[in-house]
Amino acid sequence: MKLNIEGLLVYFPYDYIYPEQYSYMLELKRTLDAKGHGVLEMPSGTGKTISLLSLIVAYQSAFPLEVTKLIYCSRTVPEIEKVVEELRKLMEYYAKETGERNNFLALALSSRKNLCIHPEVSALRFGKEVDGKCHSLTASYIRSQRHTDPNLPLCSFYEEFDAVGRQVPLPAGIYNLDDLKDFGKRKGWCPYYLARYSILHANIVVYSYHYLLDPKIADLVSKELAKNSVVVFDEAHNIDNVCIDSMSVNITRRTLDRCQNNVDTLQNTIHNIKESDAAKLKEEYRRLVEGLKEANVARETDVYLANPVLPDEILREAVPGSIRTAEHFVGFLKRFLEYLKSRLRVQHVVQESAPQFLKDIFEKVCIDRKPLRFCAERLQSLLRTLEIADIADFSAVTLISNFATLVSTYSQGFTIIIEPFEDRTPTIANPVLHFSCMDPSIAIKPVFQRFQSVVITSGTLSPLDIYPRILDFRPVTMASFTMTLARTCLCPLIVGRGNDQVTLSSKFETREDIAVIRNYGNLLLEMSAIVPDGIVAFFTSYIYMENIVASWYEQGILENIQRNKLIFIETPDAAETSMALEKYQQACENGRGAILLSVARGKVSEGIDFVHHFGRAVIMFGVPYVYTQSRILKARLEYLRDQFQIRENDFLTFDAMRHAAQCVGRALRGKTDYGLMVFADKRYARADKRGKLPRWIQEHISDGSLNLTIDETVQLSKHFLRQMAQPFRQEDQLGLSLLTLEQLESEEMLKKITQIAHQT
Amino acid sequence: MDDQGCPRCKTTKYRNPSLKLMVNVCGHTLCENCVEMLFVRGSGNCVQCDTPLRKSNFRVQLFEDPSVDKEVEIRKKVLKIYNKREFDFPSLREYNDYLEQVEDIVYNMTNNVDVENTKLRMDQYQRENRDLIQKNKATLTREQEELEELLLLEKQGNEQRRLEVLQEEQRQLQARRKNKQALLDELEKSQVPATILLAQHKARAAELEVEIEHQKQSVKPATLFSSGIQRQTVSLLPPPKIEEVLYKYKALHIETYGPLVPELEQLGRIGAYEEREREGKTTIALPQVATVPPTKPPLTHRKCFPRRSLWANQSRTPLVRVLTVC
Repeated sequence: MKLNIEGLLVYFPYDYIYPEQYSYMLELKRTLDAKGHGVLEMPSGTGKTISLLSLIVAYQSAFPLEVTKLIYCSRTVPEIEKVVEELRKLMEYYAKETGERNNFLALALSSRKNLCIHPEVSALRFGKEVDGKCHSLTASYIRSQRHTDPNLPLCSFYEEFDAVGRQVPLPAGIYNLDDLKDFGKRKGWCPYYLARYSILHANIVVYSYHYLLDPKIADLVSKELAKNSVVVFDEAHNIDNVCIDSMSVNITRRTLDRCQNNVDTLQNTIHNIKESDAAKLKEEYRRLVEGLKEANVARETDVYLANPVLPDEILREAVPGSIRTAEHFVGFLKRFLEYLKSRLRVQHVVQESAPQFLKDIFEKVCIDRKPLRFCAERLQSLLRTLEIADIADFSAVTLISNFATLVSTYSQGFTIIIEPFEDRTPTIANPVLHFSCMDPSIAIKPVFQRFQSVVITSGTLSPLDIYPRILDFRPVTMASFTMTLARTCLCPLIVGRGNDQVTLSSKFETREDIAVIRNYGNLLLEMSAIVPDGIVAFFTSYIYMENIVASWYEQGILENIQRNKLIFIETPDAAETSMALEKYQQACENGRGAILLSVARGKVSEGIDFVHHFGRAVIMFGVPYVYTQSRILKARLEYLRDQFQIRENDFLTFDAMRHAAQCVGRALRGKTDYGLMVFADKRYARADKRGKLPRWIQEHISDGSLNLTIDETVQLSKHFLRQMAQPFRQEDQLGLSLLTLEQLESEEMLKKITQIAHQT
Repeated sequence: MDDQGCPRCKTTKYRNPSLKLMVNVCGHTLCENCVEMLFVRGSGNCVQCDTPLRKSNFRVQLFEDPSVDKEVEIRKKVLKIYNKREFDFPSLREYNDYLEQVEDIVYNMTNNVDVENTKLRMDQYQRENRDLIQKNKATLTREQEELEELLLLEKQGNEQRRLEVLQEEQRQLQARRKNKQALLDELEKSQVPATILLAQHKARAAELEVEIEHQKQSVKPATLFSSGIQRQTVSLLPPPKIEEVLYKYKALHIETYGPLVPELEQLGRIGAYEEREREGKTTIALPQVATVPPTKPPLTHRKCFPRRSLWANQSRTPLVRVLTVC
């Protein structure tokens, strides 16, 4: 259908539209008009992706100069593929309606591992191996060596692409990863480099967060993207953690040992080269003296080891004299490494700030701040000069040099924590140096500064105002949309007591309490008797789950449950978990019914959807707080309090509730779907917790369902399930939660729609 | 770590966790016991390289690689002499060259390359720059100063935060106690039934809680000047010289390529105003100084000029002054 969104003609590839989609597009358009940033929350399963795509594509074709590019960031490869498929549907609709093929170029980009078509390289299993092997075939100095020695191995795909591919732009169309591979195979071009080259002139790019947020990768891939692009972060409820992870460094004893090997190799290589080809080192030296580090040298395959973000003025300055020659630099690395080793030999936990670290390093091994700052840059140059083919081996020394650069660049927002052992195993020495970033705004700042509109969207972003605060930006629109429903197909229940009036809670004091565990078991048992097909249960942590399940086994509860349904358990191991999932689906499929026991913050809670009969009920055992005793978390909470005036408790609750909402949201993936959401903890009833749930869940929690016993829960669930099991046709939805074009344009509907968006 | 050991008696850290390794100027290791044994007389030769050593020069080995210990030792000595700062040099390039030179010396000394000559060079340098070395000894480098300052700020911030939290807690405690006392007093004296008093107290307590919550939320950001005077960093840099040319006023000269523009007073005498009023258009070359608001499109795009009255009405902020000749 063709929509008129405040004067903009939007092609929408379906015959019906949800009212909230229309409302979402309105808000999005206002964001784009204002050229500002936006935070939009809309329930999962209401067609966020297609609304986003159709509006932005319409905007692009209406104002081609204002918005040149859409950068769509998602989390995983399957999600990326899903987005591309939606886009393909949209473009087909465009072609059908307008009768002409529009020349839109849209493509997905992923790592070499997913895109490589070289027969040997693509057979490798790990991403790092593929990257390293690819680099050893395509680096510019290796290719120039081949001129003298034609027997060296080469990647014909890259050669072909380099020779021809750059002149001919990728023909317009929609390319997912497989399409790119096919195209590459047909032409004999490398799909990875083709995609990386083509994103510069593509209209829509779909890729992972890391290509934009991780400074090491962003520097390579996204450096030249146009300023007037629109960036969308989908499923962005975890974006602050992604930002923090991309800037943090963890150094263990093993890293240092491998680094030691790297340094030794470097030293030997320098020694050899000095005897055979001293001119090369001299040339590098001359370049560094002149301060022309980057000029003309950084060809795309060489810039493999990019440096973390550096202030521009430093990049323009020449490398300091003390690390200018190769030997001196290796000596410098050695000293730095030995210093780190001596720091890791602690007996107690040390926490210090970056300035303290810098002072100490100067006193101990006479290393100044300035050469440290240039460390990453200098190492890059050295590796390039030494023409080391397999750079993957040098990841350890790269990590160390990145750490050196970061620690000397940022005096605020980072902390150094050295732990001699893990908290759980105090007898086993396993020293780790955490250089942890506490300020997510550092990594995302360039994105907000560079692009005119950044849209952060997800199904669970409540409370909305906390994201702008922790990411440090000013949005022009912040809106939360509710789900318009023809029937209330979600039923959130808060179970606070057992049948014997024991308070249900996962708080620390009652963790071991046998009564609570028994009541949790009873809850699951009763639910397994009345809920058809699949039930997903979430625990707060793996350890807690293990304890409870062991206890249930002893009490014979597991046996009783197994009369009703099969039980599957998520484990930290990915292969085991995917096996369990597969069998779980099979059991749901053939009517046996199953229960999946999994963990909040785990793989199942983040990426797996349980549509229809795969998840008729979700039970959340306890409030999924993070492990609050971790020192990194404590430091971050302190920082949040001092810098952003966010109290510890507020942040912890916010974090717990967003994960709880993610978990229970797994069951409801659309308007025809239905699901029970059981929150089994008394604390959910409190206003401060309840208020942090997304609005679309909150508004279905009535006062009557705040502090239920297990009996009452069973009664309410039975009633709900019987109601939901009645046949539900599309006609029932029409006009209420599903609209045709005429219905949409009616006066009263437009009035209703304005109420959907909840501005904050 | 465990495989480190004394090369002479072959004891390792694994077998004797309390093993203390020592290192001397030559960069070779010995354990504490062997040092005691071999250097009873206060001096002797290194077991591995035969360098004459003194017992008093033995240090506890800090790093796994003894050569790093040796290098750091030498470096500290060298840096005591070579302590020039960046501002002692006219350009960054020269400073970098100097740094490299220092690095060369350290490298030579550590790896026993050309030791005699290097020592001579150092001595010569020391003699030549005695004054400067003395002067720089007393001062920190700029970077260190910055670091010190940051550390100080951090310390102050922590202290202040601690105090604030303490005060806040105290205040809350007092408020609660006062509230409770008030209830007791009222129960004692007042004639109102106890249930009402209790209800009142409950409401008040809730209010207090809300207020406390509110206060908690508005944690004050640390101000820079709360502690009074900040420590000033004493910079030894000469005050920056201003080398730009001073501004000189020059009268504006406009090339007109036509008849001269009449002065404003003359306009009345020429009678330009009246004539314009009558005919709407004049043939006299009449300069107009008009103010155009910045939002209007440039005049060249317009087909005809608006009337004089229009000009008069337009905004008073003369951002663009346009000279037009009709």
